Amino acid sequence: METPRQALTRLKNGPRPVIGCLPLYPPLELMHSMGLAPVVLWSITDVVPRVDDADRHLQNYTCAVCRRLTQLVINEGKELVEGLFCYNACDTLRNLPEILREGRLLSGSTPLPWFRLHVPMTSPSQADASAYLSDEIEALIRSLEAAYGVTFSEERFAESVALYARMRERCLQLERAVSEGRYEFSEFCRISTVANFLEVNEQVALLESTLAEIEGRPVRGGNAVRVIVSGILPPPLPFCEMMERSGFVVAGNDLACLHRSYAYTPETWQDASDYHVKLYRERFPCTTLLHSTDRRVDAVMDLVSKRDARGFLFVSEKFCEYEYLELPYLEKRLKENAVAVLAVEISMEENLGLESFRTRMEAFRELIDASSSPATGGECRDRE
Amino acid sequence: MTGSRKKSEAGKHLTELMVKAYTDIHTRAAQGAFVVWGAIIVPAEIFKGFENVVYCAPESHSAVCAAKGVGADQCLKAESLGYSMDLCSYARIDIGCNSDGFQDSPTMGLPRPHLLVSNTNNCSLLVKWFDVHRRAMEIPHFILDVPFCYEPQRDKDLRYIVAQLRDLIDTVERLSGQKFDEDRFIEAASFTAAATRDWKRFLALAEQRPSGITVFDSFVQMAPFLVARGTPELAAHYRIVADESEADVRRGIFPVPGEKYRLLWDNIAPWHQLRKMSDRLAQMGANIVAAPYTSCIGAVEGSYDLVPFESQDHPLWHLARVQNHSVCPTGMDLRLSAMGPLIEKLAIDGAVFASNRSCKVFSVMQMDEQRLVKEKYGIPTVMIDVDHADVRKFSQEGVYTRLQALLENIEANRDSAA
Repeated sequence: METPRQALTRLKNGPRPVIGCLPLYPPLELMHSMGLAPVVLWSITDVVPRVDDADRHLQNYTCAVCRRLTQLVINEGKELVEGLFCYNACDTLRNLPEILREGRLLSGSTPLPWFRLHVPMTSPSQADASAYLSDEIEALIRSLEAAYGVTFSEERFAESVALYARMRERCLQLERAVSEGRYEFSEFCRISTVANFLEVNEQVALLESTLAEIEGRPVRGGNAVRVIVSGILPPPLPFCEMMERSGFVVAGNDLACLHRSYAYTPETWQDASDYHVKLYRERFPCTTLLHSTDRRVDAVMDLVSKRDARGFLFVSEKFCEYEYLELPYLEKRLKENAVAVLAVEISMEENLGLESFRTRMEAFRELIDASSSPATGGECRDRE
Repeated sequence: MTGSRKKSEAGKHLTELMVKAYTDIHTRAAQGAFVVWGAIIVPAEIFKGFENVVYCAPESHSAVCAAKGVGADQCLKAESLGYSMDLCSYARIDIGCNSDGFQDSPTMGLPRPHLLVSNTNNCSLLVKWFDVHRRAMEIPHFILDVPFCYEPQRDKDLRYIVAQLRDLIDTVERLSGQKFDEDRFIEAASFTAAATRDWKRFLALAEQRPSGITVFDSFVQMAPFLVARGTPELAAHYRIVADESEADVRRGIFPVPGEKYRLLWDNIAPWHQLRKMSDRLAQMGANIVAAPYTSCIGAVEGSYDLVPFESQDHPLWHLARVQNHSVCPTGMDLRLSAMGPLIEKLAIDGAVFASNRSCKVFSVMQMDEQRLVKEKYGIPTVMIDVDHADVRKFSQEGVYTRLQALLENIEANRDSAA
């Protein structure tokens, strides 16, 4: 399997101009339909192991997601992408475009063109902001057309939506396989990370071949402890492997770069504007989508219930205030429903002290074992 | 001629105004007023358009807690509830205060609200913070969504904000059962406009040499803008502040008579350090004469110049137009285009970039700003670590070592220029 860097390099050498999208939820289908290759610049730990250059522009209390993508764009921006896209995903990300420009200039490189979108964050009970978002989508289309000499058509957009919907469905199927113990969570994370740097048709092919490989594998669970993993990015792979060796099965995830990204595609829509209004309004809730707060806790509780999870593992992105401000309430609700919660913080300054995490995970398991009735044994109970 | 500073009329008036503002809030709430908790940039003049609506600013209350020395204790309460120490200290103080019914509040706390109004322009985090209250109190939460400006505010963004302000008026009408009175609102907006004109007159005294004010004066004196907007008391207060400060200058009374170094401060005030820092800098012959944080009041993105109340056809449009004024909802180019003329006009010798762990949105582009200011204006700069309200994250000696180094740099530049 290609590494993320190899995949990204190959993507850049392909026929489509690559648009590096600042996380979290850019309009991928739209850009793809216009002949561009959008890629979200996260899950790049392996591509960007160090952030020395980014540290000349960002304080060390900004999150690793921003520091790594800053390092990537400053050092290799032009070699890997031809433009940048940004929306108002968080307070740090909205400040990044000019910082990236300065970083490029300071390193003697030319800045990259960048495109933007403002996603309305008003609550659902307020006046409808759909018209504003529609206007923003149309403006984005016009600016991409002008920059790359491409054109937009609703027909091609529909084709791209179908491709992305298929990709997302395959992700859900793989997530289900993980939940049933037929596929390792660590492998799922590895595949998903590489897929992030592929064109969507290649993503579909990779996910479908993986599904074919694991077809027929028996459902396994035994005495495994079923947990939901939550956060922005998946835990580091050694952490995932350690979890699985310690007897945990990831019954589901509430990760921004996984489930929150692929769980929802509008089924019906009139045109691209209408599609994006629905996509941003109704997608799986995220701490960064401010209007989805009301739905978020219920959605997480529902996931926990349907996947019969007994524990909730919050893998925090250090300095992500969106996640941290919601955790205490979420934790309270989970504990009221007899779901054990463990929060671990993995910062980029610290080496991954796997042994200390192992000890905590073992204690977490003992807590769950002690507080729960015996597992049903032999089979996973997935209520979906 | 120089002179010492005693408690000024403006200082006394400030105390009276603040006590009255908080007392009124509590009294009117107890008598049945509809209570709104809002973010500080939310245009409070709208609430003055209602007969019996009172407005409180939790951010301002947090700053008061920090200034009065009880901030860290409130942070600890929030941390014991599971809120990370990495979160904004205003939010932690507020959550901590609320957790035990404001037991340690210097203002008897804030009355229980009927409506929360947050916004995304200062920081989106405010929305998450107010959601904590929404869940605890089970009350509505209105989010004022203000698009970030990389260039001057776009017309469509202005229209979008105006539409939301109208929606906010409808929301308050619906929830409070009161009718919005346009005349009352326009009158309130005119009080704020008058106050803003005098605020600019007050800040302009920094152009004097020595400066007629310090940034600490402006930090302290900005409080009424957060708790008493849209009131005649606000307009009266800033007239007193500006008149008295101008009179002091005429009489040769200056806050740092031996002013050798004129500095700019970039970020929110370190509320827990105002007196100490003011005194210590004065002993060093340094005067921080201005800060974007206070200069931006009454302006729009990209400039600190006063934007007249009459610049828009209707006060509601004016309030929408100034929604990006507060530094944070603007990009680096706009911040620098406002900061640059201030550096030149005030003959700034050096700039202090206060990297504020509790306000990432203000701080995150400071490393580039620092470099660009140094390059473009040829003045020494320094970056220090602060936290606006959590004293536990402030290392006094580390900060003064850096400030001393800045002054030495300024001196070295002067020597080489001579």
